[in-house]
Amino acid sequence: MTNSSIGNLAIRRQWIAWVVVTAFSSLSLAASAHHSVAGQFDNTKRAHLTGKITAVEWINPHTYIHLDVKDEQGAITSWRLESLPTAMMRKAGLTKEMIMGDGSPVTADAILARDGTQNVAWVMKLTYADGHYYQLAGE
Amino acid sequence: MHSTIHCESSARQARDGARGWALAVLLGASASLIGGPGGAADGVPRMADGHPDLSGTWDNGSGIEFVQPQKRGDSVCVVGCGPTGAAALATAATAAPAGRPSYKPEFAAKVADLSARQVETDPVLRCFSPGLPRIGPPDKIVQRANEVLFLYDDVSGNFFRIVPTDGRAHRKDVSDAYLGDAVGHWEGDTLVVETTGFNDETWLTDDGAFHTKDLRVVERLKRTADTLEWTATAYDPKVLTEPWALKTRIAHSTDQEIAEAAPCIERDLDHIVDGSHHTNPR
Repeated sequence: MTNSSIGNLAIRRQWIAWVVVTAFSSLSLAASAHHSVAGQFDNTKRAHLTGKITAVEWINPHTYIHLDVKDEQGAITSWRLESLPTAMMRKAGLTKEMIMGDGSPVTADAILARDGTQNVAWVMKLTYADGHYYQLAGE
Repeated sequence: MHSTIHCESSARQARDGARGWALAVLLGASASLIGGPGGAADGVPRMADGHPDLSGTWDNGSGIEFVQPQKRGDSVCVVGCGPTGAAALATAATAAPAGRPSYKPEFAAKVADLSARQVETDPVLRCFSPGLPRIGPPDKIVQRANEVLFLYDDVSGNFFRIVPTDGRAHRKDVSDAYLGDAVGHWEGDTLVVETTGFNDETWLTDDGAFHTKDLRVVERLKRTADTLEWTATAYDPKVLTEPWALKTRIAHSTDQEIAEAAPCIERDLDHIVDGSHHTNPR
């Protein structure tokens, strides 16, 4: 995956202060066992979210990670982060419980929905408070 | 006297035991040479009737060969993990195409339309059974004297097929089905499975490859010690110009057991903005 950033585009929204969207000139997404990821998610905009995972839906064709992100005013926005099918997770030795973590803050790098659906993204990488991470899409 | 009788009896038992062992060794050697139960010189385990025992869990790649995870301490890279992952991805992308069924000219427009609208029309994208042969080789096989059970751990769910091998005819007490009704027989060491009784709600493969209820699929399975070769040919003369032979798949014996499939719940298709999709191999 080519990951040549051409700069950071900070998107400021009243309801969320922790989202940073980064524009990429090229970002290939190969890791889907179903429909095209690029057909649903905009590979030119990246969200950088920090929050608490409240639920992991261990379903096919894609898993979902629900992340509550608190803004500077204390308002919480719930994100639905889509990810790999369970077979790929299992092949990598990852379980629902491992994704869920221990409740500590988690940072998610993700790309945003192409159709403008709010608070929905495809997760590229999850980084946990102790520094360990799960890379879920190509770099 | 009593003691003498006891000693003679013991000696007889010892002689009989020695003969028994010799016979057992001889029979065992013979069984091994002819490929009898429990194993053979070629490493292929065999049933009591001498047929290969296909039982086992078989890793056929499931279309996710490009996933080459890397463990990095407590971290895990699942996809696109440096040179290894990139190479695997490139290999997957450039792999020889599986080929396409050849449709009669009058059906070309239908295939093209279904393909162009695959996000709307592909049953697999809505979590329906992939059908046959799209589902690919079985992920696990349990073989008994008179039947072989195929088990699948698919993104659409867990599926099973029962393949009688005792000469039974196709069932008449079941409706047309996604995976049809199978019967099997042995041709040498190859298990030949013929399946009919399909509904017409599945595709043969990606890109609009529809079929009719007259579909007939013949699969051939042959194992070595640790591989399983699977071939399949689809016959649907109403719509195909010729039988469609899929590319041979080689599955490898694995100790990674299959698992209960997670429920398949599709939520994304309404958000696909350009209808794009990619292949959905198994």
